[in-house]
Amino acid sequence: MIKDIATKNNPPISGRERKFSRLLLFFEDVIKIPLFRCQRCGECILSSTAFICSQNCPKRMRNGPCGGTRQDGSCEVYPDRKCVWYKIYYRSKLLKRISPLYDIKKIHNWNLEHTSAWLNVFKKRIEAPKWFVHKDKQKVKAIISNDPER
Amino acid sequence: MTLKDKIASDRFIVCAEIGPPQSCDGDVIREKSKHFKGYVDAVNITDNQTAVVRLSSIASAKILLDEGLEPIMQMTCRDRNRLAIQSDLLGAAALGIHNVLCLTGDYPTFGDQPEAKGVFDLDSIQLIATVAKMNSGFLLSDHEMNKAPEFLIGAAANPFAPPFEMRIIRLYKKVEAGAHFIQTQPVFDLEIFTRWMERITYLGLHKKTAILAGVMAVKSAKTLILMQKKVPGVKIDKQYIERMKAASDPEEEGVKIALEIIKILKEIKGVRGIHLMPYLWESITPTIVREAGLSIIS
Repeated sequence: MIKDIATKNNPPISGRERKFSRLLLFFEDVIKIPLFRCQRCGECILSSTAFICSQNCPKRMRNGPCGGTRQDGSCEVYPDRKCVWYKIYYRSKLLKRISPLYDIKKIHNWNLEHTSAWLNVFKKRIEAPKWFVHKDKQKVKAIISNDPER
Repeated sequence: MTLKDKIASDRFIVCAEIGPPQSCDGDVIREKSKHFKGYVDAVNITDNQTAVVRLSSIASAKILLDEGLEPIMQMTCRDRNRLAIQSDLLGAAALGIHNVLCLTGDYPTFGDQPEAKGVFDLDSIQLIATVAKMNSGFLLSDHEMNKAPEFLIGAAANPFAPPFEMRIIRLYKKVEAGAHFIQTQPVFDLEIFTRWMERITYLGLHKKTAILAGVMAVKSAKTLILMQKKVPGVKIDKQYIERMKAASDPEEEGVKIALEIIKILKEIKGVRGIHLMPYLWESITPTIVREAGLSIIS
């Protein structure tokens, strides 16, 4: 069993911090919206999704694709779009960032919606981004073979 | 013998599925359950399948329980936030329902009320982790319960949707989160399924979780074609559609195909059982179970 499965409101956000967060969010938006079509969830996982925002998924999946990806890789809800996670997988493969896909992402804290993810990292509410993934293949192998029963 | 014991033992498991009616008529479920009694180990109760309002899965599961069958209650994240999910799970446990299948759920636009808001507060993997946490005696708020539920946690897998490798990662995460058994989408493409199972056994996941392969029996070629077109993530081998089209008695051919698939599935290493989904055709279940040589000890 995994112990911490939800992002907690810890420490809680004060009214003053929200004001500051809004200011920071302005700068964050300027970068993240044009580059990643950021949905401002405040709990950024871009670094483990090969820098494609997973929150563009209609179901807002944080842990990989649902079972409805069509055979051509398009989304089950909007057939005119590619499945966000289909794109994430192939980009991850290209950038050699497969190992982060094995992590279970915590349950989203909706209180962080429309707050600055940078500030939330600084306040240790959410995990810090992993900019570089070294030795991806070995890491995947280690995760898989970490099984004593095999 | 409960499903939990059966999974712990070495027995070949047979599950089936009932879709509750779009009314408050509980007799429909009682009527359908007659086809399953004595033939299957447990019966899935769908939770507002394809985003269409139906009799609730908890109530239906309770009806099945009273009929002497073991229900597997499906729980989707589409209609409930984390509060409702936890309270519904506690309610189910209090009623004696101990099997839960954790799903993300179809998007509301697939149903007859596409205007509805999809909740998706959790996804299926987070739901599995939530149930596992509740089993250990804690709610998501870290509140310690006086009495912990004892759920057998199920999850779904779709080996046929792309990208293939991502499906393995998803299964790995589901097992990591605490899934005790996995039910797959209906197998109509044995080549992909065999490849998927090879990867699963290579990773040793089949030892940590019981894989139940989905088997669907259909009445006509039309159903198969419709499924391929309308249900995303389903892949059907062309030969089955052609065989159904060419058959003089499509119902008989449908059963024959299902039996053939079961025979092959039984031989695949790591497959612990099957999950029967006769599409609008519950009455065929006894025939399939009997002819496939599967016996149930209750």
